[in-house]
Amino acid sequence: MFLYLPVALTSINVLIPVGLGLAVGLLSGLFGVGGGFLMTPLLIMFGIPATVAAATDSNQIVAASTSGTYAHWRVGNVDFKMGWHLLIGGFVGGLIGVQGIKFLHAMGNADFVIKMTYVLMLGGVGTYMFIESIQSMRKKTAEKPVDAKDSAFTRFLKSLPLQTEYKKSGVTHSMLVPILFGGFVGILAAVMGVGGGFLMVPVMVYILRMPMHVVVGTSLFQILFNCIEVTFLQAYTNHSVDFILAVLLLLGSTVGAQVGAVFGRKLKGEQLKVILASIVLAVTIKIVFDLTLTPSLLLAQAGGH
Amino acid sequence: MNRTRTFITALTAGLLLCGVGRAAAEISLVANHDHITIDFFYHGSSVSARGLVEAGTDVIVKIAGPDGKETLKEKGKTAGVLWMNVGTLHFENTPNLYEVYSTRPIEQILTPEEADREVLGYRALGKHLTLEPVTSPEDREKWVGEFIKFKEDSKLYGSSVGKIATEPKDVKQEFYINTAWPFQAPPGDYTVTAYAVRDGKVIEKIEKPIDVKQVGIVQTLSKMAKNNGALYGLLSIAMALGAGFGVGLIFRKGGGAH
Repeated sequence: MFLYLPVALTSINVLIPVGLGLAVGLLSGLFGVGGGFLMTPLLIMFGIPATVAAATDSNQIVAASTSGTYAHWRVGNVDFKMGWHLLIGGFVGGLIGVQGIKFLHAMGNADFVIKMTYVLMLGGVGTYMFIESIQSMRKKTAEKPVDAKDSAFTRFLKSLPLQTEYKKSGVTHSMLVPILFGGFVGILAAVMGVGGGFLMVPVMVYILRMPMHVVVGTSLFQILFNCIEVTFLQAYTNHSVDFILAVLLLLGSTVGAQVGAVFGRKLKGEQLKVILASIVLAVTIKIVFDLTLTPSLLLAQAGGH
Repeated sequence: MNRTRTFITALTAGLLLCGVGRAAAEISLVANHDHITIDFFYHGSSVSARGLVEAGTDVIVKIAGPDGKETLKEKGKTAGVLWMNVGTLHFENTPNLYEVYSTRPIEQILTPEEADREVLGYRALGKHLTLEPVTSPEDREKWVGEFIKFKEDSKLYGSSVGKIATEPKDVKQEFYINTAWPFQAPPGDYTVTAYAVRDGKVIEKIEKPIDVKQVGIVQTLSKMAKNNGALYGLLSIAMALGAGFGVGLIFRKGGGAH
């Protein structure tokens, strides 16, 4: 069955967005990412204008992450205090990032810089997570390897003021740590035009030392608020949110997020990390191919990333 | 149904009267639609045109929207190997829909001047539209070609020979064409024009308007998105939050059972 999308101004077979929603929602519930890095290009491939694809995806993520946060909260895997602190940082970081884009555009060749940063970031994070999680899967019984540099960094973090306990995560940090790193992810996400889940998850795992299952729930919680903000701004300033497309996507993604959350409980933290790392690396390889193969069309609508 | 038939009868009668009034008229055209409505289940439509021309003339049928402008990202190689957006091109005088059908290739039946005057065929369209910035005539030609390719990819531009069927009728000949109307064409006013061509010149032409517009829920949502962005955004968010919680609750019940 085909339905007409009033803002995208195109017609689509309903099975496509429902199916895409289901698949990306599953990833959301499993790993605590929004999945925009998969959803946006796939929607564009199916004929949705780039600006509408990105804006409608954030509307859909509001539903998927509500569903996912709810599922993780029920089993006590959302650290609200940590989530709020990351959000404060992320909000400020987003504001700085938007100015950063203007600065890069003024310098010229901004697209090149942004694209290269994105590829290197994805590749670096993916590789690190992959190697680290394979290693920790091997040394299951041994205690975590701590090298000198790491403990110096940890000592530095411990020396900051405003130390507070994050009970759900079982860690103690200065409030400034999640705010600063949330801000850092916020800046990069705004500059690269992505949600930043794939950066936020590693930050929580490796810098904030949170257990993987709490990371997933808490990440979904802060993605929820980010996407509410983005959806409103897109609808208000660009008029690019397609309500019907969002409904079709969330029919799949809300269910997918629940299934993902249930399935995730059956997996160990290391297993989750290694699968997420593989997906991030696969996306990196796909982007590298896109960058090097001659495109079939040399013109494109503005607004994609 | 009945209304449609009455309408077509009236249209035909009107055309006949026109024919009587203008002694020179050698062409007539009846399109099967004068409006296309986009509702919730819209997946494109079809338009057929039928008419009479003098025997021995070629026929060109053009379906086009009004000229507009468009800004597109231009892809090119950076650092010798990487394809990415390298600039922005501004196009003007670009119809949002452009389909041309002819009984023989346009360059064989029309002089270039005549084709340019009526903007018939990709070559004439290429001269008709403007774009900037371009550095040379070759550069311009390249990007005009890319623009047409881009539009063909989204089913908005097309040019083909032989889709028009003709058959002799008394001393005249009848032409008929039935073509799919792409769902990608946005709402707006379009025109179907039939041209009778002989000796390299357009000897007669006739136009019929086609009005494409949104109705019902599609129109309501589309207007609200444009005119009331804040409320539309809040509704979209509320809907998503509600759906997320709703599905969460359903799964909790399902999960609690086992």
